[in-house]
Amino acid sequence: MGIVHFVRGAAAVALAAMAAVPALAQDVRIGYAISRSGPGAPGAQTSQEPNYIMWAEQVNAAGGLNVGGKKRKIELIGYDDRTDAETMLRTYEKLMTSDKVDLILPPWGTGLNFALMPLAQRHGYPMLSPTATGRKLLSLKNPYFFPLLQQPDVMMEALATFLKARGTKTAAVVHVDELFGLEQAAALEKAFKEKGIQIIEKKSYPFGVKDLQPVLRDIKAKEPGAFIALSYPPDTFLITAQSKALAFNPSAFYAAVGTAFPIYRDKMGAATVEGVMGLGTWNPKSGPAAKAYFDAHVARWKKEPDRWASAHCWAGLQILQQAVEKVGLDRKKIRDYIASTEFDTVIGKIRFKNGENVSTPGVVSQWQNGEFEVVWPPERATASSQFPKPGWN
Amino acid sequence: MNSRHALLALLAGGLALAALPWLLSDFLLALALSCVMYAGLAVSWSMFCGPTNYLSLATAAFFGLGTYVTAWGAGALPYGLSVLAGGLVAAGFAALIGAAVLHLRGAYFAVITFGMGELVRHGITYYEKAFEGTVGRIIAEAPESTTVYWMVLLVSMGAVAAAVLVRDHRLGLALRGIGSDEERAQTLGVNARRSKIAAFALSAFFAGALGAAMAVRWTYIDPLTVFNPFIGFQTVLIAMVGGAQTILGPIASAVVFGLLTEFLRLQFPYLFLVILGFLLILLVLYLPGGIASLFERWRWRRGNV
Repeated sequence: MGIVHFVRGAAAVALAAMAAVPALAQDVRIGYAISRSGPGAPGAQTSQEPNYIMWAEQVNAAGGLNVGGKKRKIELIGYDDRTDAETMLRTYEKLMTSDKVDLILPPWGTGLNFALMPLAQRHGYPMLSPTATGRKLLSLKNPYFFPLLQQPDVMMEALATFLKARGTKTAAVVHVDELFGLEQAAALEKAFKEKGIQIIEKKSYPFGVKDLQPVLRDIKAKEPGAFIALSYPPDTFLITAQSKALAFNPSAFYAAVGTAFPIYRDKMGAATVEGVMGLGTWNPKSGPAAKAYFDAHVARWKKEPDRWASAHCWAGLQILQQAVEKVGLDRKKIRDYIASTEFDTVIGKIRFKNGENVSTPGVVSQWQNGEFEVVWPPERATASSQFPKPGWN
Repeated sequence: MNSRHALLALLAGGLALAALPWLLSDFLLALALSCVMYAGLAVSWSMFCGPTNYLSLATAAFFGLGTYVTAWGAGALPYGLSVLAGGLVAAGFAALIGAAVLHLRGAYFAVITFGMGELVRHGITYYEKAFEGTVGRIIAEAPESTTVYWMVLLVSMGAVAAAVLVRDHRLGLALRGIGSDEERAQTLGVNARRSKIAAFALSAFFAGALGAAMAVRWTYIDPLTVFNPFIGFQTVLIAMVGGAQTILGPIASAVVFGLLTEFLRLQFPYLFLVILGFLLILLVLYLPGGIASLFERWRWRRGNV
């Protein structure tokens, strides 16, 4: 019976150890699962988890969260979800129902946020999600879900307005066949039509594509005024390198997700990416709060935060903190407070209407001398735009 | 153990497991669900790959097809029917593809089955984009988590029952014959082609049905989530660690592996993959026959006493 005993013993040990030791009663326990391995890991470890950790450290260094007039330290409980939906769900089930944590922080990416939404609503945990965007998410009308990024149509509207003001007549568009790329492409087509910018070529490609040279060569031959890639990080790098190799240099060169990453500039070279535009919201010049956040991130992690989702993530943590310090740890009250209040954050004011962040405008950013400058809209701009784009270096 | 004893044992085990929702917390039930799902996947994988010595990496493709059947039928098909349909679609696909590629062996077969996963993923992406204008689907109405658990348990028990029946009947003998020497088996009158296609499709049925049963838990079905190669590799790993020639091995392995991985993941959030890798190396070095060889050793020792 050795094997049976072994299995039984192992199971008993595992189960006993999983019934986690409860923390000191006065700590505020905040739990999350995030991608430390699997395909989501690079994104999650760039824009999301470093902020969670740094926030808890900063709050604790200042004495803790102010709950009902009493300072309480944050105990952060983070697990790897392996970028697997089932593992992620199971972890949050443990956090919400067995550990009964006070608050949760969301996982990485649109798919995993989608999967968590019903559970969060059932157990009444607000989700301030920094890396999920799409009207489809909002269509679920989940009262506990607050996505922090701009919606696709808002971002594309800003891009269309920016290009129109610079006399762009024609554009070529490529997009990744994912929810993000499709929603962005549909929104872009609508916005360009309204602004009278003609789309002379539109192509899509699957996620994980390894070569886009033929597509780029065709587009180059058509000489569009603007080139817009609604891309994910790996394809953003690919499209940049291959456009440079083909000397495809339109007046406006825009790539979506990944352009805001410091590693994009560092890997491609600051001279190469000069004039490339993309999705961004902020940079250290956006204001004193942004500068303080940037400096703290560099001091803590020895690397810069990305110029898009990182600061949205930080803003979400600020909102959570303000809500708790106002109404305590009653999660229903926290939800109602988030839904009905305008907050001051690192990226400016944020207010939610029907779950949508309606305060952060669509922004166009552009690499100039090693900084991802905000060039549109004028009230957020940190530099004037370089238009047309200089040649590849 | 003959078929009837094995099936009775399975029935008793299944009934005991069916009571878990009343005994376990939400989290432990989710953990049990994961173990039962991987037991079903690993047993269905071993059903074909164990006796024939084929290495199939197509589990992710069948599983993903099943999830999409549920997503397509959401709102129209009742849960039980989607699970059945998911299994049938996966089995049909396996039979079709199997007819074309099952003459390959070794690394060629492994690579082409991995390619099948990519084919299904890109095929579905293309179809959804071209005809539906989207790639992801929302499953808004989900059954209770206990219903999902019972459904997954039922399908997994079906997989074990099928594995027992295949093992003890002509098809199993034919598969073992093909595994040891395909040409000789053919000379002795085994229709190798038909046997392989039948077993491959049967094994795909359970992977597809499990995908269809699990889909409702994830709210949003898109290619990146459901064709996660993680699920396919995990299945092969569990079956091999358990001992793919047996039925009890993969089941024991799914439970041990599931609990151990979860324990390490929660206790060593940053180091668990390193520890897991190390344990796997030890296991392959010192227990090449898999967990099942422990049963054999014990049986052999008892026989000698």
